[in-house]
Amino acid sequence: MSDIVPPEVRPKPAVPAKPPNVGAASPSSPFSPPVPPSVVSTGPSVPPPSAIPVLIASHGPSHSNSHSASHSIGHGLGHSVGHGAAHPPAPSGGHTTHSSTAGSTLLGYIGIDTIIEQMRKKTMKTGFDFNIMVVGHSGLGKSTLVNTLFKSQVSRKSAGWPRDEKIPKTVEIKSVSHVIEEGGVKMKLTVVDTPGFGDQINNDNCWEPISKYINEQFEKFLKEEVNITRKKRIPDTRVHCCIYFISPTGHSLRQLDIEFMKRLSHSVNIIPVIAKSDTMTTEERQEFKQRVRKELEMGGIEFYPQKEFDDDMEDKSDNDKIRETMPFAVVGSDKEYQVNGKRVLGRKTAWGIVEVENPNHCEFAQLRDFLIRSHLQDLKEVTHNIHYETYRAKRLNENGGLHPISSHDTQESNL
Amino acid sequence: NMSGSRYRSRAPRAGKSHEKEYVGFASLPNQLHRKSVKKGFDFTLMVAGESGLGKSTLVNSLFLTDLHKDRKLLNAEERISQTVEITKHTVDIEEKGVKLKLTIVDTPGFGDAVNNTECWRPVTDYINQQFEQYFRDESGLNRKNIQDNRVHCCLYFIPPFGHGLRPVDIEFMKILMDKVNVVPLIAKADCLTPGEIRKFKERLREEIDKCGIKIYQFPDCDSDEDEEFKQQDRELKESTPFAVIGSNTVVEARGQRVRGRLYPWGIVEVENPAHCDFVKLRTMLIRTHMHDLKDITNDCHYENYRAQCIQTMASKMSSDNRVESPIPILPLSTPDVETEKLIKKKDEELKRMQQMLQKMQQQMHEQDL
Repeated sequence: MSDIVPPEVRPKPAVPAKPPNVGAASPSSPFSPPVPPSVVSTGPSVPPPSAIPVLIASHGPSHSNSHSASHSIGHGLGHSVGHGAAHPPAPSGGHTTHSSTAGSTLLGYIGIDTIIEQMRKKTMKTGFDFNIMVVGHSGLGKSTLVNTLFKSQVSRKSAGWPRDEKIPKTVEIKSVSHVIEEGGVKMKLTVVDTPGFGDQINNDNCWEPISKYINEQFEKFLKEEVNITRKKRIPDTRVHCCIYFISPTGHSLRQLDIEFMKRLSHSVNIIPVIAKSDTMTTEERQEFKQRVRKELEMGGIEFYPQKEFDDDMEDKSDNDKIRETMPFAVVGSDKEYQVNGKRVLGRKTAWGIVEVENPNHCEFAQLRDFLIRSHLQDLKEVTHNIHYETYRAKRLNENGGLHPISSHDTQESNL
Repeated sequence: NMSGSRYRSRAPRAGKSHEKEYVGFASLPNQLHRKSVKKGFDFTLMVAGESGLGKSTLVNSLFLTDLHKDRKLLNAEERISQTVEITKHTVDIEEKGVKLKLTIVDTPGFGDAVNNTECWRPVTDYINQQFEQYFRDESGLNRKNIQDNRVHCCLYFIPPFGHGLRPVDIEFMKILMDKVNVVPLIAKADCLTPGEIRKFKERLREEIDKCGIKIYQFPDCDSDEDEEFKQQDRELKESTPFAVIGSNTVVEARGQRVRGRLYPWGIVEVENPAHCDFVKLRTMLIRTHMHDLKDITNDCHYENYRAQCIQTMASKMSSDNRVESPIPILPLSTPDVETEKLIKKKDEELKRMQQMLQKMQQQMHEQDL
């Protein structure tokens, strides 16, 4: 399976980034590139540019590293810089990063790989957007979980919105944006909350305001995209990920859970989590998860990461491992306690302290790593390449498009 | 067993039998006690709340039974077409010679649908049916062995996940408060920290007050009870609604085998008062207030029903001349015709009496002038 790689720059594959530490809670996998201490990675991990003259023999590890890095950066940049970077179709055997080493025939150093550093600088300057929606009954710890995930007060609860005394009569959509920064990388995080979901006596169609909101964001983006003079960087308010909070009943999913996920799994990436899981013992949790997974399967609900979008065997095996652990059973907290000499986030009960980041207590750490440290970029890409495209195709097919100029833009020019 | 400790202190002492004033009926409570023990008690407990709040587990923990051993849990698809059901399990429990016929009424499906409008209806229908049955029996000829299947207490489970009462909680409790003793509980309380439980209880008490929901009130204890008892009573009242945890498993904690739940971060003991209010609930429900619950059911809720029933029948009769109510006052062979005659007779008698009264009043009036 060795491809001969011609000396020109390999086209960037359209395959979603395969960041190094997928599925593992700690960056101890053999694929993790050497990260210099100054860069704390929240987004794509980036190795420093290698200015070492590349001989055929020494291409092994550094080559594969730079490839995986180029994937992560390429796409990260691609999105924030208004889709300027071309996304050609994936070359056959796209992920044969390891075997491609045999094909290099560079006899001197050109400096192509400094492009990684250039892209990285650009990403850091422009930053990127991430929009996350939380859906679930009131009181399931949605705000607390989001605050815990991003280790900052980013939820509606902390944005000064008064703790709603009354449950709203219809589902409301409330979004709060914050810019958070880590390691020089800026992220504009928008948390979209949905108070009132599932709280009424009659919850028929309570998913409609949510569906409407998601489509409205697609519509906004589409309108910008088909403009004659387009912004260099279209502001992206599309929902990249929807965390659905399942009530920890210990029995099975509720009807409303199934109705919601069935209807929305085709327009947004749904990540189901089991809320307030400190109410279940370890065995109860396992049983509950199994039942829930079976019900999701029976209902034909494809939650993220969707099986049909796995591009290759590596993706599939990584994602299979994740899918088998989902839905993650989480506990959130914004309080710290002293445990064994360390300060940890947790909940203090009369019989012990539940540690949020302890993998024996709950799966918060796995969720965080999955959501932020390995699949953040992929979430955006699936939203853009799949959910948005589906919406766009549907819109352009009805009534023959938005307006006359758009007929040119129906070509897949920038994708 | 329930009345034992409080009455024993008033039992006649041996030395008093020579006093002139001593008649001896102070032993009546004891006699009653002995008779009841022989007869046995009936108690019907209803549990209501959404699936997965630990209702069955709690009942098993309270009565040390395993009522739902072979229960099959439906999955969500199967439950889509399910409506609220009423299921009954009866268990005979005996302890220290006292027999209790315990009936647990469960309400599977309550609050589980997407649209839960009027999901309380099967529950109120059931309660009314039991009242109706008792009414019939009470008005009947053979009253020696009336079975009391009326619902004496309804434990309503509130999820610990919310911030207070939800619309479905308010609606349910408001509709049921006039038909049954409602005791709200905070379910699965082991997912809350002590501070959260305190706040939640305060919040619930406030909202229950604000919405005008009448839940079961513990009667005030007698003023001649000792201070310790009064203190206990106060504590009991101040910790409502009870935050409970149940368990079907036994764990090893502090060197003992107890009912509990084993978590990676610690062990929850169901009967540890520092962990939850299970013991308080059990004390209240079984050891001190079971009888009161039955009394209130009989004296308030049942009487309300009965009065309403009779009124409905009376108004029906005055509007049209046929008695359509299914409940005969006297169970005669052809109830409609016979009852109608009787009632007509009584009516006429009443009218005659009223006329006589009026005449008398007039006479008195004329005499005064």
